[in-house]
Amino acid sequence: MPSIRIENVGKIYEDADGNNVTALNNINLTINDGEFVSIVGPSGCGKSTLLEIVAGLQPATSGNVYLDEKPITGPGRDIGVVFQSAALFPWRTVRKNMAYGMEIAKVPKEEQKKRIDKYLDLMGLKDFADKYPSQLSGGMRQRAGIARTLIMNPKVTLMDEPFSAVDHLTRSTLQEELIRIHQTEKKTVLFVTHDISEAVLLSDRVILLTPRPGRIQEEYVIKTKQPRSRTDDEIIKISAQIIADISRGAEFKEAEYFI
Amino acid sequence: MASDETAVLEEERKTLPTKKKRKKITGITIAQIVFVIALLVYMEIAVKKKWISPVFLAAPTDIFKEGVKIIKDGTLLPHLLISLEEVLAGYALGAVTGIAVGLLWTLFPKVEEFMSAFCSAIMAVPKVAILPLLILWFGIGFKSKLVLIFLFTVFTVLFNTVGGAKQVSDEYIKVARVFETGRVKTVFKVVLPFALTSIFTGLKLSAATAMTGVVFSEMQSAKAGIGYLLAESQNFLNTKRLFFLVILVTVMSVLFVKFFKLLEYLTCHKWRKV
Repeated sequence: MPSIRIENVGKIYEDADGNNVTALNNINLTINDGEFVSIVGPSGCGKSTLLEIVAGLQPATSGNVYLDEKPITGPGRDIGVVFQSAALFPWRTVRKNMAYGMEIAKVPKEEQKKRIDKYLDLMGLKDFADKYPSQLSGGMRQRAGIARTLIMNPKVTLMDEPFSAVDHLTRSTLQEELIRIHQTEKKTVLFVTHDISEAVLLSDRVILLTPRPGRIQEEYVIKTKQPRSRTDDEIIKISAQIIADISRGAEFKEAEYFI
Repeated sequence: MASDETAVLEEERKTLPTKKKRKKITGITIAQIVFVIALLVYMEIAVKKKWISPVFLAAPTDIFKEGVKIIKDGTLLPHLLISLEEVLAGYALGAVTGIAVGLLWTLFPKVEEFMSAFCSAIMAVPKVAILPLLILWFGIGFKSKLVLIFLFTVFTVLFNTVGGAKQVSDEYIKVARVFETGRVKTVFKVVLPFALTSIFTGLKLSAATAMTGVVFSEMQSAKAGIGYLLAESQNFLNTKRLFFLVILVTVMSVLFVKFFKLLEYLTCHKWRKV
């Protein structure tokens, strides 16, 4: 069953001045089959770096990431990635953007069409199929970006702050849609966000990273059944807890160093 | 749905200003037209009244008559065809090579590392300075012109292609990698469409210079062509023909550039402003 195991992952990179910067330190995390896990943390804590390591887009300096117990060595079709700004190709229509991965994977034309029609429907993009990204609103673009990834039926979907560039109302709609899709398809999802209430609303589990060098500070399991409401007691309580823990994070870390 | 409305609004916003931008005939435009007409009338009168010798200036009506004459008696056509042949062949060869080498460099950075110094060096040579050498090597006919126009074109297109390819955003490359796109396909499906803007800039820039190249080289040494006709007219002090040919060459040059603007519009207008 598709699961992700992150084992002792660390990342050190060289900044512009030639200094070594530790972005991630000794990350251990297992994401189970069908689980929705979010990573939150202060900006610069390396959460996007961690996601790119899992995606195989950059190598870890130490440790390994396993998909179904096989080490990840580079990007692959088993792992889908949704990017922050959708990153649609502006020279392709929505339909063509959605077809991109299937073109590369040489999926037969009829099959492509079938899957595209299904996802156009699922993402509410039917009337926009032949529009170019420049003709779409930010929310529509992000829908198309998500559709382009999900259409490949990846075992695991990674999302890097996918809703950070859309307005608040659209964001709520997209979150609800994502929950609905996750409920029906039961895909394993690793979700990176800086929006704590978003993480709590969507996830089965939320991982809080410390400020740089990022390491796991805390883990929160959210048991409330989907679909959840933003006003559920537990949702509010855990969100508040995480916010409190973030501000404690810095001191916490220093204390640990002294021990 | 709210987002439907915003998309429609955005489209409206895009179309509205262009409608308003349609040029109005202002006082300035009228003044410009009056100025040009006055200039033409002055030329006509000055030459006809012998205020200025017809060796130095030609009356617009004479320029027009001369044009009609050399078109009708078949003087112009063979020369025009030869020039067109030279410029189109040289330009096509240069443009195709420029884009192809540009993509090759993008695919194999080592090739670029090796070649770019040499290309920059050759590019730095003023092309007209090596025309005598080209004539020694290739004669005064078609071949030396072909090579000259090729050299006029290839580097501009090449460096614009490479420059455009290098600007491709990281995100698109990440998308390509995530979908396991191979190197060749990444270049053709992602880098090339991205670089199109820059490639078209190269094509438009070199279209004008290619025309300059062909006229210049024909004026220097040739047996035929528009440039040859220009040099000949000068020798015979046929000023009205000189004027006509200059106008003709200008129009050809503008049309050539326009052609690529049209081509760019046809390929790209759907997804970006051209």
